[in-house]
Amino acid sequence: MTTPAPDTIIVGAGAAGLTLAARLAEAGEQVLVLEVGPQRSVKDMISSQIWARQLKWSGPPVEESGTHPVGHAFNAGAGTGGSAAHHYGVWLRLHPGDFSVASDHGKSLDWPISYRDVQPYYDRVQEQVGISGDSEAEIWRPPGSPYPMPPLPVFSQARVLARGFAATGRRTAPLPLAINSVPRHGRAACQYDGWCDAGCPIGALANPLVTSLPRALAAGVTIMHEAQALRILRDPNKPNRVTGVEYHHQGVPRQLMAQRVIVAAFTVQSTRLLLNSASEDRPAPGNQHDQLGRYLTTHPAGTVFGLFEQETLPHQGVSGGQLLCHDDYKDKASPGGFGSSQWMIANAIKPNDLLGYGTSRADISGKQLRPWLMKAARHLANMTLVTEDLSLPDNRITLSDSRDPAGMPLAHTHHDIADVSAQRWQQRIDEGLDIFRAAGATDVWHGPRVAMHIMGGTVMGRDDTLSVTDSFGRVHDTDNLYVSGPSLFPSSGAVNPTFTLTALAERQADHMLGLALAAAATPSPGDDPTL
Amino acid sequence: MPAGPNRREVLAAGGAALGWFLIGGSRVWATPADAASAGFSPQVLGKEQVQALASIGEALVPGATQAGLAAFVDNQLEAGSESKLMAKYVGVPVEQQTDFYRLSLDAVGLALQKNTADEVLAAMAADAVPGWNGPPASYVMFLLRADALDVVYGTQAGFAQLGIPYSAHILPEANW
Repeated sequence: MTTPAPDTIIVGAGAAGLTLAARLAEAGEQVLVLEVGPQRSVKDMISSQIWARQLKWSGPPVEESGTHPVGHAFNAGAGTGGSAAHHYGVWLRLHPGDFSVASDHGKSLDWPISYRDVQPYYDRVQEQVGISGDSEAEIWRPPGSPYPMPPLPVFSQARVLARGFAATGRRTAPLPLAINSVPRHGRAACQYDGWCDAGCPIGALANPLVTSLPRALAAGVTIMHEAQALRILRDPNKPNRVTGVEYHHQGVPRQLMAQRVIVAAFTVQSTRLLLNSASEDRPAPGNQHDQLGRYLTTHPAGTVFGLFEQETLPHQGVSGGQLLCHDDYKDKASPGGFGSSQWMIANAIKPNDLLGYGTSRADISGKQLRPWLMKAARHLANMTLVTEDLSLPDNRITLSDSRDPAGMPLAHTHHDIADVSAQRWQQRIDEGLDIFRAAGATDVWHGPRVAMHIMGGTVMGRDDTLSVTDSFGRVHDTDNLYVSGPSLFPSSGAVNPTFTLTALAERQADHMLGLALAAAATPSPGDDPTL
Repeated sequence: MPAGPNRREVLAAGGAALGWFLIGGSRVWATPADAASAGFSPQVLGKEQVQALASIGEALVPGATQAGLAAFVDNQLEAGSESKLMAKYVGVPVEQQTDFYRLSLDAVGLALQKNTADEVLAAMAADAVPGWNGPPASYVMFLLRADALDVVYGTQAGFAQLGIPYSAHILPEANW
């Protein structure tokens, strides 16, 4: 059977890929999406932390090294919806200062665009998808339209922890979430049962299965599942153009031609695909200057736990948390390390799984365990720290000497954490323990430093000798090859990336369709350009 | 492998079925707990490895034996790329899970020949098991404890034991 040549091939059916698929198809293009994982629907989102693991990455393994490995198997996903199928819906904007870290501090990288370039796309996506929050209470929030839905309710765990923040002179606000607090656009409101990690079958959480996927399918997008892209096909006569994709499907290598190719396979696999597209006489696309794969970043993160006398009922709420603190976000160069940080406060939590409270105390077992778990089930609180990573050239995705069953080299990621980033993480964790004590915790502890989110590798930039793509994700040395997703981020900031990558995909779509870019409204007198 | 019952049949039976286990020479659709109590025949692990897993799992998380920890782990290892063991996302790729568990449980079994389960756990926590020949002992202990937590407390019955509502949006077809 021959598949007709589409206008655009998109590799990856995650948040970025499906956003672009919907936009391009709605404008009349024929779009085909290659997805390495299985087909999924919301009916597969079974409420179980064990079943939730089916949403995680199940493709070829990724080799990891370094002092702070990126945790690909935990952070990545496969199947319709990609990693966003299991994301928690914490949709925060990068701050203006996140776009100019190199200029402001002599560290990391600058973005080729500013907050004001992305702001109208944040606003557009926010209206389309829906975010619940309180834009006035969120005093650190960069300029933008108010949230279209009221915040999610605050339960007892968050009320207990808010006392600790207040007692230590810190401020909190409702956590902005791409989760419906009220029914909206045909999607139900949240039930606050904390099963976000297993996917949200009721459609309250904005994973792509209930946002961009229905739009894409309605516009005629074809999605080919369990199809592994092997390499980008280069035009032998035009060095600045690609012609299609070679992929592996049903045990057979195949080729498909298109006018445009978009690689949106999440950070590591997107980079792996581009690296594997080199030939003996031509470097990989975007790698003329040996930049492809560099500046791999991940958010150093951690969880603080505590037990309280009063009931916290930590099974209530949503996995992402209930409250936010960005008091320490703006001043990246404050003493104690380097980088922004945030607290996501009062995450709904289960007894088992990697992020569960039972797993958090490996020192408790045997006869002590059940009484401890019974106490924790009603009296435990927790909050999650996210800190900024430095973009370093030697933190890099490369190809391994080992190959997968389709013959494609595996990806290898190397990620070391900078001393100043590790110091900032420890500083904030220590402060988190103090916040818990101030809230009245009778016992406090914290989990290990972990890697949350994966970014970089195909970073955007103005200088084609120091980056892989331009600000639209177009690979520097090619006219019709694009990358989309968090691999474009030149610096990590310290906020969850899905909102930003979706806004960038909207901006890319405007560019590809030849539409005028959206412009931010004229700054109002109250806007603080230094935020 | 024979086709499993459909979702309606499973839920009508109380949502307690898990997978196909070899019991008495026949493939039987059963929970890990029922498979364990019926004397299931492991398909991946050896009998001594199963015994070591049951002994150390019970010492880590009381109730793990009755909940069918060994049957659960063996069944997940048999599932290959479909394995849902937590090891999947803490650095043990599914392709290496079987060797990881076999090596680890052989080492646990040897240690249990000379010491009580509690003594072995204390030594594993400190990575100080004499003669240990396997993946790092504290890491093995962390993962086995997590598996035991899964089968005992990561289920509707486990939540009920802790007095908290499960409140599923979609009930698991298995008992987890």
